[in-house]
Amino acid sequence: MTFATLIQLMIGGIASGSIYALVALGLYVTHLTVDKVNFGQGDFMMVGAFLLLSTRAAGLPPLVCVPLVILALGLLGWALERVAIRPLERARRSPLGSYSWILTTAGVAFILQNVIELVHGRSVQHPTPLLPGGHDAIVHMMGVGFALEELLVVGAVAVLVAAFYFFVFRSRWGSSILAVAFNPEASSLLGVNTPAIKTGVFVLASMLAGAAGVLIGTLITLHPHIGLIFTIKALIVAAVGGFSNPVGIFVGGLLFGVAESLSNYADSSFGDLYPLIGALFVIAIKPSGLFAERAAHVR
Amino acid sequence: MFADTRSLPRHAPRPAPGARRGLYVLLALFIAALPWLPVNPFMIHLAESFCYTAIAVIGLNVLLGLSGQMSLGQAGFYALGAYGSALVSLRLGWPIPLAMLFGAVLAGVAGALVGVFALRTRGLYLAMATMAVGFVIEILAQRWTDLTGGPLGLAGVPQLDLDWLGNAAFLYVAGGCLLLVQVAADYVNDSAVGRRLRAIRESEAFASAVGIAVPIWRAATFAACAALAGLSGALFAHQSGFVGSDAFTIRLSVSLLIAAVIGGLGTRMGPLLGTLVLLTLAEFSAGVEKYGLMLNGGVLLFVLLLFPEGAAGLLRRWMRQPDTESPDTGHAESAAAKLPPMPSGCALSVAGVSKSYAGVRAVNDVTIDVTPGSIHGLIGPNGAGKSTLINVISGQFACDSGSVLLAGQDVTAFDTPRRARSGLARTFQNLQLIEALTVEQNVQLGQQPAVATWKDFVQWWRRRGFEETQRAEVRAILQFLQIENLAGKRPAELSYGHRKLVELARAVAQRPRLMLLDEPIAGLNTYEAREVALAVKRLNEAGVTIVVVEHNMEFVMSICDRVSVLDHGELIMTGTPQEVQRDPRVLSAYLGGTGDD
Repeated sequence: MTFATLIQLMIGGIASGSIYALVALGLYVTHLTVDKVNFGQGDFMMVGAFLLLSTRAAGLPPLVCVPLVILALGLLGWALERVAIRPLERARRSPLGSYSWILTTAGVAFILQNVIELVHGRSVQHPTPLLPGGHDAIVHMMGVGFALEELLVVGAVAVLVAAFYFFVFRSRWGSSILAVAFNPEASSLLGVNTPAIKTGVFVLASMLAGAAGVLIGTLITLHPHIGLIFTIKALIVAAVGGFSNPVGIFVGGLLFGVAESLSNYADSSFGDLYPLIGALFVIAIKPSGLFAERAAHVR
Repeated sequence: MFADTRSLPRHAPRPAPGARRGLYVLLALFIAALPWLPVNPFMIHLAESFCYTAIAVIGLNVLLGLSGQMSLGQAGFYALGAYGSALVSLRLGWPIPLAMLFGAVLAGVAGALVGVFALRTRGLYLAMATMAVGFVIEILAQRWTDLTGGPLGLAGVPQLDLDWLGNAAFLYVAGGCLLLVQVAADYVNDSAVGRRLRAIRESEAFASAVGIAVPIWRAATFAACAALAGLSGALFAHQSGFVGSDAFTIRLSVSLLIAAVIGGLGTRMGPLLGTLVLLTLAEFSAGVEKYGLMLNGGVLLFVLLLFPEGAAGLLRRWMRQPDTESPDTGHAESAAAKLPPMPSGCALSVAGVSKSYAGVRAVNDVTIDVTPGSIHGLIGPNGAGKSTLINVISGQFACDSGSVLLAGQDVTAFDTPRRARSGLARTFQNLQLIEALTVEQNVQLGQQPAVATWKDFVQWWRRRGFEETQRAEVRAILQFLQIENLAGKRPAELSYGHRKLVELARAVAQRPRLMLLDEPIAGLNTYEAREVALAVKRLNEAGVTIVVVEHNMEFVMSICDRVSVLDHGELIMTGTPQEVQRDPRVLSAYLGGTGDD
């Protein structure tokens, strides 16, 4: 392996790793606030990618399509919370305990897969490039060729992560989210609109999935069933990061992406499985994640 | 003569659960007769699929419905069973029964490994980990073509063929397996095993306090349910003689979950009903294949949002069988019920125990000796470290330094269940009762098994004498605490005071040598408090050593032989109630003086 190949592999890994991190951030914010995640987060990303495909095919310019897709995904997130999560609070005591949401959100994911199948068919789709130069645009730096779109993905995710961090930890809305995460009842008493926040975090999570959907088309081809593997990888990245802080998740995502890229290079048939299995072992050994402090459990 | 059975005599105990042999006979007869009825081969095929699918669903029902552990990866274990059995019979020529056993064991071993996750993770993490494991196995099945044949599959897997039975052979084998598994699952549901799994699901603190080794139970449940999925897969492999990787996607995992949920989680008939609905749905959607996913997803949403208790729950409601059997059998007049004999109380020594949370010293170098057979009070203002000390003694928290001795034996290294089995019982300040169980069953959780498991099973099967001695003892304990009328109720239906008494009853059922009571009368009215004081006194007279944390001074001073006072994690003094009441240091700790005056 030459130095140039190594760098290219790393950049490719960082690009797909940033997508995992972006999907995982959506899981993080809802887990933080309501202890629940959307088990169809990857499928929401897939829907975003296909929406971009359709709007682009309709001839709209990317600068119109992208906000449109993210807005649409925000609506979808709102609907998800209202249909599949909120009603469970009122529902009769379920024998499933407090984990019904895993299956209801998975149910929504199946329905979305089916809808996309019906609209676009089951075959593989090649998304339109985001940048004018197409998928093959390459910039040369220090004798290494970088795919422009991969750089775009990395840059866009870095900006989004920073914006997300600012939004959650520095803005007033973010304070409300953190307040609800800490104690929903007390937040309500202090005037935080708790139901709105609970819905809002799912809207935010879906918009992040939408952003991932916009970017994913630059890296891979699409079909209606790509979502699941992204859900799994994002969950694992979030769990390895300990569901505890966005920076940990971002770093975890990048590491996972790079490990995957290198292991794929080393073993083309089973390469993608090794990082997955490795991460599972990490979770088995350190369930609270690599970057988490275990909260004292006092009864 | 044939009086309305609903008006049972007022003191009739709840009927013991038992094997429903009539149902098993009906099911067996149906399966036996099916091949000889004028039905087309497709119906036979469906019946076969029903039998082996139901086996996997029963496993999932025990896992999720009883022990509360989510698995989104059952398809992986199913695949292991199928490939394991197919490969050893195809390549190594093993006889089919042995091959199927191998498949089930293989899946069970994998399940035990995944159980490692189950030990360390809960809920979301477990769902994720099992989903990932299922995914990895699916990918291996697809790509490890040398072994599995991938999507093109393994063909020519030996099929079950008994000459004298013709094409009924497979149905009989699958049906026989299903019957055995259903009987075993029913026994689990009715017996101490099911109670323990439910206890683990709702409160691990409770479960370990009554001596259940929670990690082992969780992992074993995972392994057993994976083995059932494996058996199901092994049967599948020998049904058609073809095993292709397309059968083992996450859709299978979700389908099995759907069946378990539709049927009614944690119910005995749920898995059979659910599998029936699932296969009907699958047949129905075969014609509209392109809406299959939508149908699955829609059904999940529909059932979970509108009928979370599933088909079995609906049936029960339609048949007007109340979900909770709660016959109020009326107050008994005699309060002087005999307590079952208790073992003699033992000494407790806490030697130099310290415990900090993130730098805060909650308990600092505390040494207390409790004489056998005494009632020892532990008092102190809020935040003095009383609850921490109780948790250190019972093993919920490990202490940073020092040791805990029970009857002279150093138990510092013992975990909570082991301390419970050494004769230590406790109650909780925040009540820990299992809502899915009746009061009687909650108390039963404290008991040791009265007979060997096989004997217990036989009694269950014969519906004679099943848990008879245990239930008699529970009645005696409830009578002793004057709450025998609550035996059939669920904890949620009880007043706070009664719930506290139920916890006390559960602790008594453990027949402890030392009992830790964490605020036994907090929140009770005067009458109830007096009853508890009386009960504690009488328990103590029966020989039990009692350590009690309580804020109510009247209570503490009237029942305790000796009292230890904690303040800011330090032991101020230990003495008789009179000495404690006179001591200026105690007064200043409570009244906030400087201690000089």
